[in-house]
Parts: sequence; structure tokens; C-alpha cells
Amino acid sequence: MSKQSTEADVAFIQALAELLNKNELTELSVKREYAEDDSLEVRVVKQANIVTTSVAAAPAVVTTASAPAAAAVPAVNDDPAQHPGAVTSPMVGTAYLAAEPGSTPFVSVGATVSEGQTLMIIEAMKTMNHIPAPRAGTVKRILVADGNAVEYGAPLMIIE
Amino acid sequence: MSAEPWPEGVARHVLDTVDSTNAFAARLAPDLSGPAWIMAGLQTAARGRRGRAWSSPRGNFSATLILRPTERPEIVALRSFAAALALRDACVALTGLPDSFTLKWPNDVLLNGGKLAGILLESLGQGAQVQHLAIGIGVNLIAAPDPALVEPGALRPVSLLGETGLRITPTALLDALAPAYARWEQAFTTQGFAPLRNAWLAHAARLGEPIRARTGQTTRDGIFETVDATGALVMMTAEGRVAIPAAEVFF
Repeated sequence: MSKQSTEADVAFIQALAELLNKNELTELSVKREYAEDDSLEVRVVKQANIVTTSVAAAPAVVTTASAPAAAAVPAVNDDPAQHPGAVTSPMVGTAYLAAEPGSTPFVSVGATVSEGQTLMIIEAMKTMNHIPAPRAGTVKRILVADGNAVEYGAPLMIIE
Repeated sequence: MSAEPWPEGVARHVLDTVDSTNAFAARLAPDLSGPAWIMAGLQTAARGRRGRAWSSPRGNFSATLILRPTERPEIVALRSFAAALALRDACVALTGLPDSFTLKWPNDVLLNGGKLAGILLESLGQGAQVQHLAIGIGVNLIAAPDPALVEPGALRPVSLLGETGLRITPTALLDALAPAYARWEQAFTTQGFAPLRNAWLAHAARLGEPIRARTGQTTRDGIFETVDATGALVMMTAEGRVAIPAAEVFF
């Protein structure tokens, strides 16, 4: 990560912290790819005491854990979000594995996919976001179930 | 009424018959240099949300606006509100009945409390980049689906003709909708979500009243409080306040 981008990264992390507060989320993790070998991974965690009768008035406690990629090695190494083949969610929403209920899923484990092929849909605000395969490969794992709520950066699939 | 001119730089395609205007728009997308409206007299394979059949006989409105937005996907999705506001504006301009049209989260336009229209947005993105966004809009101008055919609990389907006695042609609606959308798009890209959110809330149905939101297998009941700065539906439930980015809302 270049030094010039530090300010932008700080702004980005602040924006994440605001999103966390606004959306009643307890955790956000995001990976930003700037270029090959240049990425930022951020995990923002809020103390889980927000469901009270005075939510609006309670300033949520935000611990902002951030660092350049090199320092952001997660404590748990088998976190699928850190897997190099992970396809992550670009937004908060609901995951759909098939175009419509009851129809054949877009892909299944073991399937070969081509770059750009739709893997699933993430819906937010009646916008159906087709999530394309970032590269050709084989679907190794599907990490969400149809109808699951997903957060920013949530790992959706592993494609290798 | 003084009609607004067609927005500059926006293409206008009117087709007789097409499979689905959203599908047509997606095929057209790679060749487009700017935004385009595609309207069809008849769709032979019209789709609603999650593959639901969408009935659109000739005389009803079926069109798609295709855009190439540059924001992140969660920002792009806020155009759901721009589309609903534009459609409401167009309906008000053509009927002169501002009090008859309200909005249901996120993008349903209601007429006398019934479902007049359906809006479905589809985006195709690569990582954090959206390649194109198709905003499909169907409006029951002359005919609404049989209430027996809609999902239990869904709003009563209504048509503009049936509720108001006014016969608006699809072309007239397109010519009112395109400039209305262009205005909201301009507000959104220059001022962000705030003006859309304010206008949307000013016309929201059931604000402060009990609603039900269903996401996947989860159903939540609560008081509809507001829409937050990210566009999420905010409800006060027995478990506390929740902000919901994707749901079907029931009254």
C-alpha cells in the first residue's frame, strides 16, 4: 500500500465505522484490492450491547482495527474471507443462489465457471446485483445459503 | 400542463414486442454510449422480482432505463428511490392527482393504496465496479392483474384507468418519466442520497405505522420509522431497532 493512499484509507475506515453504526451491524470486514499485491483489509467491530431501548441515543462503541495488508493477518487462518480464491460480497444484502425460488442454482460445488459468469445475486433495495466470477475456475465452496443476509466483504464462494 | 423536454443525451427506443425490456437492455448495453430508455408495447417474457410473472397486456407500460453508473454497488442501488420518485412525479404530472400517489419501501408506487407499478433493478458488476444498471418499470395503465393471482398478503393490484378513469398512453408516460428520472438522477449524482431520501419520506405510505418485513425465511413486525442514509428500511421491533437492506414489505 502506498503512503499516498493512507489518508484515503483512513477516510474509508471512518466511513465503514459510520456504516456499522447506521446499520445495527456488529462487524464489518472489507478487503479492497488496489492492484496486485496492494490491498487493504479492514475489520471494524462494535461491542454487542446495542439492542437496548435507547438505541438512537446510545453512541455505539466502535473499535477500529485496521492496518495495511501486511499487518492485517487475521487471528484465525481458516477464515474463508482471507482465502485467495474467495469471492466476497460488494454490499450488504440478501444472497440468492438461483434466479428464482425453486429453479436450478446458478452454480454448484464442483462446477467449472468462466470469468464473468453469474455466481449468485445479492439483493439490496430491490436491486438485483449479479455477482460474476472474477476469474475462470472451479467452485470449491459455497459459503452462503439461499436467502442469507450478507454483509460487506462477506465471503460468498471459493473459486480456484 | 407544461411537458418537460426529453432529456439531452438520453436515447429513446420504442419497440413493438420484446422478450423483456430488462433482457433487451442488457444485450444492448455493450453498444451504448449513454443512458437509454427502451419501451415495448408488449413483453413476451416479462419478469418481476425473484422470477415472478409480471402481467403486462398491451396498453400497460413496460420500459427499462439502462445506465452505466460509476459508484459502488450499494450506492448504485439507491437509484431504486430515484426510479420510484420519478415514476410518482410522472404520474402526478399526467393525472394532476398529487395526493393519490404514495410510496412503499423501497420503490413501489401506490395509487389509492394499491399496487400500480413494479420496479426491478438489475446490475452486473465486477468486484466493486458496476458495469451497467437496468431499471425495469412496469405500470398498470389500463389493466391490473387479477387480485386472486397475487401473493397472499400482497397489496391489491390497481390500474390507473380503473382507479382514476384516466387513459394515459405508454408513450405519454415515457415522455413524462424520462425527464422526471433525469432530474432525480441529476440530484443524486450532484447532491447524493439526501434529497431523494427527503422527498421519498415526504410521500411514504405507513410511516410511523405497523408494517411487516420479510427477508428470506425471516419475518419481522414493527413500526416503520424511517429510511436511513444507506436506504435501508428502519423498523422498531420488539427486539429493538433494525435496519433492513433487503425485504418484502407488507402492510
